[in-house]
Amino acid sequence: MANAETTLKEAMTAIDGALGAALVDYSSGMALGMVGGGQDLDLTVAAAGNTDVVRAKVRTMEMLGLNDEIEDILITLGSQYHLIRLLKGRGTNGLFLYLALDKNRANLAMARHQLRTIESGLEV
Amino acid sequence: MNGVVSPMLRRLAADRATGALVRDHGTLYLVEGQVVHAESPVAPGLDILLAGGSDRRSAARARTGRPGRIGDGEREICRLGALFDAAFFALAPGRGPARFRYGAEPRHAGPGRPVPAVALERETLRRRELLDSVWPYPALDAAPVVPRPTAPGQTVTARGRALLARADGTRTPAQLAWVLGRPAFHTLLEIRRLAAAGLVETPAPPPPAGPSTGTAAAPAAAPAVAPGGAPAPVPLPLPLPPSGAVPAADHPDIALLRRVRDALEARL
Repeated sequence: MANAETTLKEAMTAIDGALGAALVDYSSGMALGMVGGGQDLDLTVAAAGNTDVVRAKVRTMEMLGLNDEIEDILITLGSQYHLIRLLKGRGTNGLFLYLALDKNRANLAMARHQLRTIESGLEV
Repeated sequence: MNGVVSPMLRRLAADRATGALVRDHGTLYLVEGQVVHAESPVAPGLDILLAGGSDRRSAARARTGRPGRIGDGEREICRLGALFDAAFFALAPGRGPARFRYGAEPRHAGPGRPVPAVALERETLRRRELLDSVWPYPALDAAPVVPRPTAPGQTVTARGRALLARADGTRTPAQLAWVLGRPAFHTLLEIRRLAAAGLVETPAPPPPAGPSTGTAAAPAAAPAVAPGGAPAPVPLPLPLPPSGAVPAADHPDIALLRRVRDALEARL
């Protein structure tokens, strides 16, 4: 059984270069669970702030008339990657996984693949 | 963000008490000072959320994709969401004193991780502030939702459209939450956003009785649901719009000016 906490711990241990992970409800901006983070990365702030990112993108797609769904959003910084993966499950609709990675240690393709695996782990 | 929502909850948490904290708009169940379950007549329970609401259209949408059982992880996340949702209303300022029934246990709570009372208080305060930062009109939370026509070129998100489609002028936000199978707080927030965008009527605020502290009024409770049935919408008197009769469709400039005026009034 994978609950919110173990899912995040899995993400942190399985993914190279992970600095912090959060499971966030993007309607309310609440972090249902957080792992990692610290002084350099306040996950509560990141969770609430990134809900605006997701909502803005959803709204833009509506304006464009794109009848499609967002799989993930990647934000590349000088020293970090921030990955947002929207969850699709019935009970997890409206949630996203947020993952901050150290750019020097992370393998982006691998991280995305791992996130997919972790998401399907939630659904069993 | 360091206010105290409920001194009694603080004390019970410190005493590691076990039982039910019964308040005006809901009940919190504690085990050794931690919250294991919350119930409110306003917030749809886990069963409604997982079933996709009492409305056939939303329920059908919830079932598409992956039929059959729901994963343990999904259930746990959903349970946590429902707990925070019900707790938000249970912790809303009430009129009467709270009571604590030692040893009382919830009837419908499944297993799951308990939530520290401090985390629940912090999240509840954050949610109150979030509502008011979006559109500071608590009267919206309990009043029937009255949609307004969109301005030309104005887009509405799919979630907003689903809400507006079921707003028949008599349903309150809480009733819409039950119909759609969404958490009640999320519905209040969505309606505040829609009102800020001029897509929902903002009812006239009640005459001020003392200084307002910006706490959300507890929404009208959703009526009890018969098994497998939808809550019967309770007809409530329609609030008077703040500016008298509203024309069928405002010219976009007028709609904009109206929103600017409302926003200015809110800030002054």
